[in-house]
Amino acid sequence: MHYMVLLYDNEANATMPGDPEFEALMAGYTAFGELGGTAIVGGDALVPAEASRAIRVTGGQVSVTDGPYAESSEVLGGYYVLDVPTLDDAIELVRHIPATATGSSEIRPIAMLMPPSTDPVPAGAVRYVATIHGPTSEADVPGTAAWDERSAAHGRFASEAGSAVAGGAAIQPSSTASTVRVRDGELLVTDGPFAEGAEVVGGVYLLTAAPDAVVDIAARIPVPDGGGVDLRPILELGG
Amino acid sequence: MALATVARLTGDLQLAEDAIAEAHAAALETWPAAGIPDRPGAWITTVARNRALDVLRREARRGDLERAATAALTALESSPTVVQPIEDDQLQLLFTCCHPAFAPEVRVALALRFVCGLRVPEIARVLLEGDEAVAKRIQRAKAKLRAASIPLRLPPAGLLPERLPSVLECVYLLFTEGYAATEGDQWVRTELCDEAVRLAVLLARTLPEEPGAAALAALVLLQDSRRGTRVDDAGRPVLLPDQDRSRWDHGRIAEGIRWLAAARAHPDMSAGSAAYLLQAAIAAEHAQAPTWERTDWPAIVAAYDQLAQLTSSPVVLLNRAIAVSHADGPAVAQPILLALAEDPRLARSTALALALADVAERSGDLTAARRHLTAAEARASTVAERSHVRRIEERLDGLASG
Repeated sequence: MHYMVLLYDNEANATMPGDPEFEALMAGYTAFGELGGTAIVGGDALVPAEASRAIRVTGGQVSVTDGPYAESSEVLGGYYVLDVPTLDDAIELVRHIPATATGSSEIRPIAMLMPPSTDPVPAGAVRYVATIHGPTSEADVPGTAAWDERSAAHGRFASEAGSAVAGGAAIQPSSTASTVRVRDGELLVTDGPFAEGAEVVGGVYLLTAAPDAVVDIAARIPVPDGGGVDLRPILELGG
Repeated sequence: MALATVARLTGDLQLAEDAIAEAHAAALETWPAAGIPDRPGAWITTVARNRALDVLRREARRGDLERAATAALTALESSPTVVQPIEDDQLQLLFTCCHPAFAPEVRVALALRFVCGLRVPEIARVLLEGDEAVAKRIQRAKAKLRAASIPLRLPPAGLLPERLPSVLECVYLLFTEGYAATEGDQWVRTELCDEAVRLAVLLARTLPEEPGAAALAALVLLQDSRRGTRVDDAGRPVLLPDQDRSRWDHGRIAEGIRWLAAARAHPDMSAGSAAYLLQAAIAAEHAQAPTWERTDWPAIVAAYDQLAQLTSSPVVLLNRAIAVSHADGPAVAQPILLALAEDPRLARSTALALALADVAERSGDLTAARRHLTAAEARASTVAERSHVRRIEERLDGLASG
């Protein structure tokens, strides 16, 4: 069973390479990597949300703006993909992610996973995470005709985009989400997504493309009408 | 209970639910002619297990069995052909219904549906909600259970301290839902109290290392021991001072006291467990007192003092003040009650107005008592409450004229 873990945190808690706190935080993530071992299928940190581009689609009209898709004090700072048997196993790992102690980690069951590519990133290209947002609908529920239709659209997008799509996941509806926090050493689990209304709907893509080409690619991602994509560069930590 | 056992065998609540429904349909067809089997529970469970096995085999032949279901199929095929439903399975299902990934209101609805076996309209009546809202909530939870792979199991020992509180809270809620209302579907409410007491005792027996489970068992047994005396023949509520103590369930009281002692034997416990223990201790004082007047009020005040440290509940403070009025007299309690009247959370409290009326009456101030009763009557939200206030007013009228 694959789960996507979306790490939401206040960017005031974020540190950048070079800060003294950054080293301590990285040590925390290294420890989590050792704890998770092979259960961690993938994961990345993202650059701060001001680097985001928001692509909105309304009635077939596409608009692109600088800045995140949804303004909020706690923003997506990274993600993991876990492969564990049950939600309990996922929670037992997620409670040890450093961001869970300061922010909110949302666990979403994955309906279909396209594992992250291990190919080297071509020269001039940058890796991005594209999260899909918008109104929830029947198309979010696997097994429905609307879901099948949407899946087919994603299939067409992925084949057209070719190697620019370096991975992705179709995720279960936000009604199946659980949000985990740890405060004062105490585990707090809540029912539902971290931010109702601003949650990821449908799925996530990992794109590899040149900065001047990526928006055009991301704008072709099938999104629910009235929704859109938040496109954010991955923070390359090296190694 | 059959549902819980088939759910354990299949690892799939939806599959188990469908199989049980089919087994019940089969029972309706065959029992009238063939007679009710010796062990109807085992019959239903066995038929349901076989139906579930058929479904899994069919899916396996079509090749669309998920990984978890493949394991379930293997386990089912090697399980005994006659299956006896067992209580442990019900406990396991209770823990799943009370999983922290479900919101508290979802847990109660799931437990009522799958552990207590209530149907949606019954659950809606118990929770005072609409049928559609309850049905939707259960449907959504079942979808999450399946999609998010929430396990059907008793959590491992290491997780118990985190998982048990929501289970205890849910069982206590089942009990109070059944116990509190004197109106509505009496049969369902009686069933619910019995079921909650049974589950609490089952938890305490299964988890002897958990003082909270023993304390909750004590609490519900002791409270439930008074169930038969809480309503008079006309269906009117009878409060503790006026209940016929000889008709209390002394078997339940003895069992409650035993669990209370078991809980107290634990050297330390969480605040949540301590809160159940203190409430049980208060219930035990009442259960063991020969009369209302000869109740050990100082012991009850002491327990409320400790309870007030653990919770900010205004109801606890109110009950403490009432106990003070009996331990130290109405003159001591009156200023405490008047201070509580300033608490906005008690602004609509009938019980507070009644307590103020009672201390005024016992201090000889019938005018003030009447004023508080008028306030109580205005706040009363049920017919039973209003008629209770009227009866006190009538008694005061009798005192004044007699």
